[in-house]
This record gives sequence, C-alpha cells and structure tokens, in this order.
Amino acid sequence: MAEDIVDVLIIGAGASSAAAAWSLSDTKMRILCLEQGDWMNPSDYPSNHKNWQILRNQFSQSPNSRAWETDYPINEDDSAISVANFNGVGGGTVLYSGHFPRLKPSDFRANSLDGVADDWPINYATLDPYFAQNDRNMGVSGLAGDPAIPYHEAPLPVVPIGKMGDTLGRGLNKLGWHWWPSDAAIITEDYEGREKCVNLGPCNYGCAQGAKSSVDIAYWPINQRLGIELKTRCRVREITVDENDMATGAIYFDGDGAEHHQRAEVVIMACNGIGTPRLLLNSTSARFPDGLANRSGLVGKNLMFHPWGFVQGHFDEPLNSHLGPMGTCMLSQEFYETDPARDFVRGYSLQFTRGSAMIDTAVNGTFSGNIPWGAGHHAAFEKYMGRGVNVNICCEDLPEECNTVTLDPELVDSNGIPAPKINYRLSENSKRMMDHAVGKATEVLQAAGAFQIDPGGHAAGTGWHHMGTARMGKDPETSVVNEWGRSHDVKNLFIIDGSIFVTSGAVNPTTTIQALALYIADSMKKNLANLFD
Amino acid sequence: MADLITSDQLLTEPQRRTLYAVLEIIIPADEARGMPSARDTDVIAYVAEFAEQRVDAIREELDSLNEESLKETNAAFADLSIADQQALTEKLKAAQRYFLVSTVLQTLNCYYQHDTVLTALGMKPGAPFPEGNEVPHGDLSLLDPVRARGKIYRE
Repeated sequence: MAEDIVDVLIIGAGASSAAAAWSLSDTKMRILCLEQGDWMNPSDYPSNHKNWQILRNQFSQSPNSRAWETDYPINEDDSAISVANFNGVGGGTVLYSGHFPRLKPSDFRANSLDGVADDWPINYATLDPYFAQNDRNMGVSGLAGDPAIPYHEAPLPVVPIGKMGDTLGRGLNKLGWHWWPSDAAIITEDYEGREKCVNLGPCNYGCAQGAKSSVDIAYWPINQRLGIELKTRCRVREITVDENDMATGAIYFDGDGAEHHQRAEVVIMACNGIGTPRLLLNSTSARFPDGLANRSGLVGKNLMFHPWGFVQGHFDEPLNSHLGPMGTCMLSQEFYETDPARDFVRGYSLQFTRGSAMIDTAVNGTFSGNIPWGAGHHAAFEKYMGRGVNVNICCEDLPEECNTVTLDPELVDSNGIPAPKINYRLSENSKRMMDHAVGKATEVLQAAGAFQIDPGGHAAGTGWHHMGTARMGKDPETSVVNEWGRSHDVKNLFIIDGSIFVTSGAVNPTTTIQALALYIADSMKKNLANLFD
Repeated sequence: MADLITSDQLLTEPQRRTLYAVLEIIIPADEARGMPSARDTDVIAYVAEFAEQRVDAIREELDSLNEESLKETNAAFADLSIADQQALTEKLKAAQRYFLVSTVLQTLNCYYQHDTVLTALGMKPGAPFPEGNEVPHGDLSLLDPVRARGKIYRE
C-alpha cells in the first residue's frame, strides 16, 4: 500500500489553524488537521440548562482544573500567572469572550518608538487586509471610527452597550478619556447561516446560540466543505525530520492510544504559545538535540501573557449589567501608548465587562461581608445585583528570556508525553503599569458614580493569551521563524499561532493571531514555486 | 446502588433539623418582597443532585454547629429561639474563618437559581437559551466628544 502523505499537515484546530486552512484550501492541496480534543456540541453548554450558573464549573478555563481526557497538564508552580486554554476543535475560541480589538501600528514598532523589545518584521499595514478578511469570515461586530485605531469597518453592527455602557461612557467623558464600544467576534444580525446573538450572557462557557464566533462554528464547517480533513482525538507527540532538516510529518496517538506516523510535505504548527514550544521541544533528534527549529535557542523563551487585573464598581442605579455578552461592552485605550512622564513604558487597555449573575453576586457579596445573613440579606442583595461593573486591566507584557515554557522532567499527559512547565514572573515595568491602571480604573468608576469600588488588582488565573515563544524575525540568531512564519531551521515547517508574536500589545490577541495566519497562508501561496528555498 | 446518595438519606435527623434551622438564619423569608426563606428551596435535594462532593463537609459543619450549641446552651441548635440561634451563629462566625462555608455556599447556589426566587426578583427562571435577554443599544451619541478629539494612536 502506498504511504499516505498529505501536502499540508496542521497541528491543532484553533483560531490560527482554522484561518490558515481556509486560505490554503484554494490551492486544492490535500490538507489534514490533527486535533487532540473533540468537537464541541453547543447543546452541552451551560446556557441550555436551568442550572446554568453552576454548570459553568464544568467548563473551567484552567486545563489543570478541567482535567478532561483531552487536556494536558501544565506545571505552573513557578508562574505568577496560571494558564487558561481549551483543547478541542475551536481551541481557545470555544471559551473566549469574543473581545476582538486589533494590535495597533505602534505595537509593531516598540523598539523604534520606545527603545524596548524588538520591532516586528512586518507592520500593521501588512496585516490590515487580513484583519478585514478575517472579520468577514468570523462574523465581527463593531462601530467604525474609533480614533484609537486605524479606520476600519466591521461587517456587523456593534454589540449593545446597554445602560451600563451609558453610565460608564458619561464617566469617561467627564474625565475626557478615550472609550469605544468593543469590536466583538459576536454576530449581532443573522449571518452566514448563523442566528444572531440573543444576549444569553455567559459567552466564556460556550455559546449555545452559536452567535459567538468560535472557529468551530465560524470556520471549520466551511473548511470541511472546502475539502480540509480534520481528525479529532489525535495528540501529536513529535514532528519528524529527515537528514536534510526537512519535516517529514508527525507521530501522534489516536483516541485509542495507538501510535501513527502521518507523513506530510509541509507541517504547520498551530498549538498556541504553550503547546507549540512544548511540541517543538519534544521533537528532538540528532540534527536538533535541543528541540526542533531551535538553533536560535529561543523556542519556549520570551513567554508573554498579559498581566491582568480587575477593579469592580457598584452603582445605585439598576443597570441590568448582568445581561449581555459578558466580555464585550467597551474599552478605553487612553493609556495605551507610551507616555514618558509615567514610570513605565508602553501601556494598557481598560476593558469594561458585564456584571455578575445572581449566584456570583450572592456568593461574592456574602463572603466579602457586603451581603449579610438574616433580615438584611434581601435588601443588600438588591443593592448589588445588576449594578456591578468590572473594569479589566490588560497590560502589555514585554518579552523577557527568563519567562519560559520548558518540558517538565516528571509531569506527562495521558499518552506519556512530557508536559510543559511555565516559569514566569511579573516584571517591574508590569507591576508599575498595573498600579497605574488600578488607579485609573478607580478614577473611571468614581467619575461614573459608583458607590463602592473594590480594587482587586492583579489576578493570577488569567493566562488566556500565550505569546512570544517562537518569535518571528529576519535574523535566525534572534528569532525562530522568518517574517512569513517559516522556520529558519526547517524550511517546510511553519508556525502561525501566538508563539510568533514579537511583542504582545495590550489587547486580546485572537484577531491578530488570525490575521497573521491568513497572511502567512497567503505568503505560502505566493511563494509556492520556491517555498523551501 | 448502596452508594447512591439520595435526599432522603443525605443527613441524619439531627443534621436535618440543624440545617433547617440555620437556613432560616442565613436567608429568612421576606414577605414584603415576596422572597421565600432558604428553607423553602429544598437545599437537601439540590445538594444531592449537584454538590454530592460537598456532603461530608456539610455534615461536619452541621454536627459542629450542633455540638457548639449543646456545649454553650445545653440545647440542640434547632431547639434554640431564633434570637439565640442568631447570637450563636454570629459568635461562631467571628471566631471561625470558615464557619459553615460549605453549607452557606451550597445554600446560595441553590437559592439563587430557584424558580420561585428568580421570579420574585423579577428575573426569568430557567435556561437562558433559546429565549435570551433584551439589552438596550445604549446612547452612542455619548461618543461625540471622543470622536471630536481625533486620532490618538501612534503610527
């Protein structure tokens, strides 16, 4: 029997994989995607059930807490931030909020503008058409004209900001600060066979309506109709290479634990900023004793999260703030760009998200002492319910080689594959930035009239964004992939996920990850005749 | 089947009496608001269905509360007057950081997703899907001063 060799093998079925597969489908190459998790069934999500509030616990964002068969453990003992992810078709987009702001032009030029980190080898203009294409493919809502980002129009009208948005907007206007309703990967009108958002609320536990643009809904059904093959429950152990430093495929375990070797002409890594370095470091050979594509020594280094914080406010006026897509109301980027007068470089976004549902309001209020036992319970609950607002702080994280993904010497997944270990500390710059942001978030809530403000500050369980661990650049000594995602060391190996970010910006990265994936796929098509030169 | 926990066998009779009494202390009824007490929301059945892993902790907490009551007053907690129950629980709350923490958590979980409670609060009981919720668009003219300020990003 002839050996089964696919043209393109993609590892992982998340945000970047879906976009790249869609783009490459018009080449008519045979494309196979291997995903370690399962397809999700939207009827399993909590919003389908009367007890939805507590069923959310089953969809923990921490792989260590969730511990599904399809998850791999992560050693976070030496990390100031713990990892949040999802392993399945759709990847992290299954549980993300759909908050969809783009990186800004200055994010690609941190070194030129501010003398820190490195510039990207590409710029905002390079990605601009791919942002727009991805917005159409995903189904993105937004309001054109935000003065904090180059002009762009979303294909769908903006997500409602509600009374909560009005209240905060008036407060921000008093201060004269920037704010804008968020771009959101949520469809506000029926779109491409999908029904519009009906404000179920808990987007971060899966969207029962299918209105949140997770890529298992927005991309993969189309990709499959275009001929892309997708196999689930296939956990890749290593990428194989030949004596010419060319990738030859991947060894993976199927759902029954049987080992297979899938041959391929091109391998694309799309396993996120932790899964990708883990797999590269697990792919050792005589030619690559320190891990595949790691002659620079930078695979797994420069790990960036976004240091994340919270400040919560409560208002006298009923805002129904618990209703609406939880992660996407509005944002302020007043403090996004560097200001030399501050004691930190670069900046942060303030993301205003909806208030808590009933149980969370009652539990947090009761255990914090705001809601008493006894006769006063009901009045106090009323005082807080539907009146809370969360100000999320998303700080830019600058790359540091000491922040790493390595292989844990003992911890393994259910297939015996060494698990990742995270070493990560908050920099002094991040700490100063967070302090500043907590102060500014408090000011906003005061200006908007909050009667109570709780400055929680940095929160550890917020490692949603994984970046920098296989950075892009023109110099093979200081980067892992080139300016269009191709490994410097292995000419038929591409990386398209958040690993290739040079800097992190201060926004949720998914839209930029997907724009990069589309750009890399397009570059591959343009260079098809001499792809491996 | 012997391992199956049902609401009938979840608690001993003394534990059940203690629980019913303390539920009235945590969340009493409020007739003016139309709010039931936590006792009226069948916390035991809820725990049996959704929080089986917390049963042992709840049993221990209820036993401990009753023992404290016997020690302090020579009477079971359920037999005290409401004023005495309140005084004892306040004293124990002040002394013990995790006093009744599992019991209170599961009580709140049960209460704030109970149909009667949500209806009394003016909220829709049941699953959010497929009906969903209405959220007003908001006043986007509030953005006029933000627009007027012009571009704020760096190239």
